[in-house]
Amino acid sequence: MKLKAYILTRILLSIPMILIILTIVFFVLRVLPGNPILAMLGPKAPPEVVHAMEHQMGLDKPIIIQYLVYLSHIAVGNFGTSTYTSLPVLQELLQKFPATFELTLYSMVVAVLIGIFLGTYAAYNFGKTTDVFARVYSIFVYSFPVFWFGIMLQLVFGVWLHWLPVSGRSAPFMIPEHIYTGIYTIDALLNGNFEVFIDAVKHLILPAVTLGIVISSIFVRMVRSNVLLSLSSQYVTAARARGTTEKKVLFKHALKNAMPPILTIMGLQFALLLAGAILTETTFSWPGIGNYLITRISYRDFPAIQGAIVFFAFFVAVISILVDIINAWIDPRIRY
Amino acid sequence: MLKRLGLFFFSLLLLVSFSSKSFAVSKKSYIIAGTTDKITSLDPAKAYEYFSDNILQNIMGGLVKYIPGTTKIVPDMAESWKISKDGKVYTFKLKKGLVFSNGDPIDAKVYEYSMKRVIKLKQNPAFLLADVVKDVKALDKYTLQITLKYPYSPFISILAFTISYPVDPKVYPADKVYNGLPVSCGPYMVKKLVRGQEIELVRNPKYYGKKAKTPTILIKIYREANNLYMALKGGEIELAYRTLLPQQLEQIQKDKNFKTYIGDSPFIREIVFNAKSKQFSNPRLREALSYAVNRAQIAKEIFKGQVNPLYTLIPAGMWGHKDVMPHYNINKAVAKLKALGYTKAKPLSITLWYSPSHYGSTESDVALMIKNQFEKTGLVKCNVKYAEWATYVDYWTKGVMGMFLLGWYPDYFDPDDYMWPFLETSASPGMGSFYSNKSMDKLLIKARAVSSVKERTKLYYKVQEMMVKEAPYIPLFQGQQQVVAKPNIKGILMDPVQIFRYYLLSK
Repeated sequence: MKLKAYILTRILLSIPMILIILTIVFFVLRVLPGNPILAMLGPKAPPEVVHAMEHQMGLDKPIIIQYLVYLSHIAVGNFGTSTYTSLPVLQELLQKFPATFELTLYSMVVAVLIGIFLGTYAAYNFGKTTDVFARVYSIFVYSFPVFWFGIMLQLVFGVWLHWLPVSGRSAPFMIPEHIYTGIYTIDALLNGNFEVFIDAVKHLILPAVTLGIVISSIFVRMVRSNVLLSLSSQYVTAARARGTTEKKVLFKHALKNAMPPILTIMGLQFALLLAGAILTETTFSWPGIGNYLITRISYRDFPAIQGAIVFFAFFVAVISILVDIINAWIDPRIRY
Repeated sequence: MLKRLGLFFFSLLLLVSFSSKSFAVSKKSYIIAGTTDKITSLDPAKAYEYFSDNILQNIMGGLVKYIPGTTKIVPDMAESWKISKDGKVYTFKLKKGLVFSNGDPIDAKVYEYSMKRVIKLKQNPAFLLADVVKDVKALDKYTLQITLKYPYSPFISILAFTISYPVDPKVYPADKVYNGLPVSCGPYMVKKLVRGQEIELVRNPKYYGKKAKTPTILIKIYREANNLYMALKGGEIELAYRTLLPQQLEQIQKDKNFKTYIGDSPFIREIVFNAKSKQFSNPRLREALSYAVNRAQIAKEIFKGQVNPLYTLIPAGMWGHKDVMPHYNINKAVAKLKALGYTKAKPLSITLWYSPSHYGSTESDVALMIKNQFEKTGLVKCNVKYAEWATYVDYWTKGVMGMFLLGWYPDYFDPDDYMWPFLETSASPGMGSFYSNKSMDKLLIKARAVSSVKERTKLYYKVQEMMVKEAPYIPLFQGQQQVVAKPNIKGILMDPVQIFRYYLLSK
């Protein structure tokens, strides 16, 4: 199969995947107890107002009709209107997405840096102290509950040392003047406002380090085992025989060749992180999609919950396709 | 490659650091507060939970108001008022020259529009007006006449509540709830509202009354007590109002960097029995269980003494309050349960419901402690179940739960607001209790019509005495208002009607 055909197949395959997720969420929400109208209006709302609202939102129609209507709306990019805020869900999601994206991006940077360096050195020093440390580290860190680790960092660096802010994306009145991307660190630089940039970075450190460290465990183990494999291969022996320096052997030969499977995992982790930063977002009051989803679940805001999940599913699909394409490019051995 | 990249970023940082601007927001000009409360709506026709109402109390006003720190009602936008002899017609003279924050005038027509709109929209708090108001009419530009369906003495305190605030007819549609930024007529106006995140209040330059002391108040909204606590200790907020956990408050009271303010709150908590359910339709069973509840233990062990046990529905400190419900007496509980035929071999099997986050994270502890107290009789097997708030509301409206935990903030500061919604036949389904008692209804109607406080007190005493044998609810405790702030924050007032006045804050 050619690359183009493969990409097309992948895109087409991701549509039923999103559809399945959407269907499950749609029906599960409606099967579970909890009436969104009552959550919105309160228990004292007169029945006629409840019925009028149900009618307005289409909740009085048979569930299958509701489903088909929703599908037809989603197909044209209409995610509906939030029952909690009466604002278009897509608009809300697009407003929250940059925060989640920014947190995910910097967490990935932390995780990748730790993963690559610690993993590579552990492999190079196989069986020695560094290796043992890396293995213990990854098991230890993997077992951290994110929220607990986040709270510990907040306590130490925010409450005791007062070095870093404990929550939110920015200090009061420190929002970039002009929002271009919604990513504060970038917008602050585009605005040429260094003070806002520093503030945004300060707010990012604790949540990004929390999330980054927790997921770095997977990377450390992945990098370590793949580099170990590369180090025992013949091209490494050949490089050493040619008198290449150990540093070059390690980073240019062993690590580079070990990268394709690592990249796949990293790409998928990025997508999962985007969706999985919920606990970090709630711990650090980070105003992203995770926080949004949790709040809306308690209000039974059907359109918002469905919208957020479809949005996540869409990104997981897009990123996994991108990862496959990148893999195909960098590794000529991959065939379809 | 790495070195080159590093050099690029370094020079970029250097470049922007030279072009950076510095902020000229003086620290005195704003106060940053924090809360775990959420806003649902800032339309007076819909707002019906503490925080939304409290924001409205800071950005709007009504015909009458409470004097800060007291329960006394005085004219606000009204200049004066008269009540007809039969107690049914209220005539208000309005102050002249009043305007909204956008410059639109506030006159009798605006009040007529606003009150009629509330009744027409039929949102959650609409019953407060709809149940009693027959007609609202602007007699002229500055005269408003409100006619009631029957004499209703607490009416003036309803006029002090957010439901009676005027809204700008040009902005608030007559047939729809308004979801935009509110048009203000109070000391502050809302500059920015990001739901679940923050709300920024700035001085309303067109407010006719005393100016708000601080130009800007930023209220940050946190998900949980833990987030609020961290933000406070980390120095991100200067004041925390609602709600830290009891142990967090205990900790912070020892911290010299903060000052704690404690005041009585009219907030009450209770166990609701669904009188329509098969099991709890028997008053003798409800009464027996009421002897088994040890409120002092709940107050001491879970709330570290930060709440006060309550033995009636009317909170202590309010006229009409009378301690009537039985205090903890396990022997009596056992005797009464035995009389109902329950034994160790054949215990009473019941379920207690609670909602895990709506009343803070202490709620599961409260439910578990009550379960243990019931089971201490040796004749009860108590199951504990929970549901998230949206489901919980659904369940109690449909009468799914037989016995559950609930709380109540007053809408207006009058014993009627602690009696009528709980006990009157048409109102009790709203509490999920479905309690009905004709002789109690008669007393409650009479207490609404009579204007003498002495007379009304007597009537409410009677109602409360009837509650002992009927036990439609088990009142648990009365809350406290707690504010923690940096020592330099001034103007924190522990109001008996629990209006937190942000406009009095300064530093």
